[in-house]
Amino acid sequence: MKRRKATEDEDPSILSAPAATDNVRAVDPFQQILVQGRCALLLRPQIVETLEDSQIEQARRAFGTMSSLVPAGDVLLQAWQCGQLESINESLTIARRFHVGSLYLDRHVVTNEQYWFFLEAGGYLQESLWNQAAWQRVNEFVDQDGKPGPMGWKSGSFDAGAAQHPVVGISWFEADAYAHWAGKRLPTDAEWVKAASWPVEADDGELVQRRFPWGDTPDAQKANLWGSHRRGTAPVTAFPDGSSIGGVHQLIGNVWEWTSTSLQVANASGRVRLEGLFKILRGGAFDTYFDNQATCQFQSADAPFARRHNIGFRCATGMCDVAGAAEADRLEDAGSLCAGTVGEEITA
Amino acid sequence: MTEWGSHSIDTFGLVEHARQERCAMCDGENRHAAEFCWHCRAPVALAFPTDRKRAAPRLVAVVGPPGVGKTVYLGMLTDILSRQRGSLQILARGAYSVSLQQQSMSALARREFPPSTPSEPDGWNWVHCEVSKSSRKRPQQFVMPDIGGEAYLQEVEHAHSVPSIRAYLSKCTAAMMLVDTAALEDGAQEQDFLAMKTVSYFVELDGRRKKGWPARPMAIVFTKSDQSEACFENVEEFARSHTPGLWRICQERLGRHRFFAASVVGASAPLNILGETVSIPLRIEPRGVEAPFAWLVERLG
Repeated sequence: MKRRKATEDEDPSILSAPAATDNVRAVDPFQQILVQGRCALLLRPQIVETLEDSQIEQARRAFGTMSSLVPAGDVLLQAWQCGQLESINESLTIARRFHVGSLYLDRHVVTNEQYWFFLEAGGYLQESLWNQAAWQRVNEFVDQDGKPGPMGWKSGSFDAGAAQHPVVGISWFEADAYAHWAGKRLPTDAEWVKAASWPVEADDGELVQRRFPWGDTPDAQKANLWGSHRRGTAPVTAFPDGSSIGGVHQLIGNVWEWTSTSLQVANASGRVRLEGLFKILRGGAFDTYFDNQATCQFQSADAPFARRHNIGFRCATGMCDVAGAAEADRLEDAGSLCAGTVGEEITA
Repeated sequence: MTEWGSHSIDTFGLVEHARQERCAMCDGENRHAAEFCWHCRAPVALAFPTDRKRAAPRLVAVVGPPGVGKTVYLGMLTDILSRQRGSLQILARGAYSVSLQQQSMSALARREFPPSTPSEPDGWNWVHCEVSKSSRKRPQQFVMPDIGGEAYLQEVEHAHSVPSIRAYLSKCTAAMMLVDTAALEDGAQEQDFLAMKTVSYFVELDGRRKKGWPARPMAIVFTKSDQSEACFENVEEFARSHTPGLWRICQERLGRHRFFAASVVGASAPLNILGETVSIPLRIEPRGVEAPFAWLVERLG
């Protein structure tokens, strides 16, 4: 298979620590997992016991480069917003307060190159990685030449020059399977918003959250949106000024990001009902037209089988899945993270 | 109409009252100061050229059945072209020309679709704009009304039943016909039949080989193409497979036509409200919106 080699301007933090693309077939399984960017797998409590101290240190360094700590705390989620529902005099726009436990969130969305490792390792052939509903339809997840892979790829490979661009054209199920393979999971909706808007509790108990990861004002120089005039994805390391306080890049712009949470329309009387299953998307993409649809609070969604040209994903790791990390945090917080739930709602 | 004593007697007022303006749409005569045509309710200002050579504006028909997305498409087209710094730009003439853009954008930003366009011409939004191309010194004037889908359909089904629409379409030099991709993906043939009727209607309106519709450019735009990635990947093949009747009639009757895929909404969700299903736009991501208009402008020279 022909593939492009990594170039000099590629940020090693978005790959595995050694960033040696051609070493993917390294003989040493430990090095191979590192190269594939699956250091979270190595740091699992069950695995870490089998590693030498030097290997643990190496894996921790790689994991620290790839991931950012999102501290535990509360977050306000302004969910579904739809003016057409005003006619029934029931507002569905409810700001709900959730508690989110500590977690690690990937600093970058998953790149084409990282996803290729998953494909090359036979990710589309391992039933254990896949949601059962999706496994029966895994043959539908093919590229332009009918080979397994993202929608826009050809013959199982991405375009030359796009190694460091976000992988797009993947369904929610493919994103979920990749996350399992990498020893991680998709972030919940609340976790994503917590990482992006970085809430701070004021003296009166009210939460103060950022509209964008960099502040409260839209800025075309800080995110790849329609106003940036790129009309396509950018490398995941572009727009460094748009990072969150925790150092997570491109939470806004470039590509929409799948979360693990299903879209729900809150309505006590049951007079409004969403038809079909939709998974929540966050962040906006390079072709998001309105600035108000690319904020930390704006919630979009799509069908889990949808494969779009502008939807990608990033992974999260629960504290309980990282050896030694859970002890530094409250175990009860970590427990909810392991389950991958939305989070505990504080007030309605 | 006779009016008694409603105007002050001064020279300016008399001249204004006496001067007649011919409606650009129906050729009916109106007072210069009138805002809308007495006969067809089109804006009288459409007849006022901006350049000294008094070049008549180019009239473009944007047609399609109700719900195909004409208002959303036109609103987004004018918004993109009036904001961008690219090779093709437009500048609205008159406040009424901004209304369509304003209404559509306000609704879409709130994740709503704008209300459907009424059948009566006085309820239509008129886009009257100057189009500037980087390759051309002098801007051209274009007029593109957002014609009500119900009224348009009535005229196509029963020719001469809506004279104002027929009068306008007979003057158009180019057309954009919109076809609903979402309906085609659902397997319904209705869109194919309606599109075939449109082509037949236009050719019957003026079938001259060198000057009529067989020689005028017609862009066929598959709207709501976010519902079908295949439509974006190969729109010609999509047209051939999903609208075989339209494909054939275009080959035989139209000399200058082209198919385009376009979408304004990135995805939508069906919401059941009190038993009625309403489509809610989940996000706004224009794709392929400018291309049909750019193609038409290029063909019109």
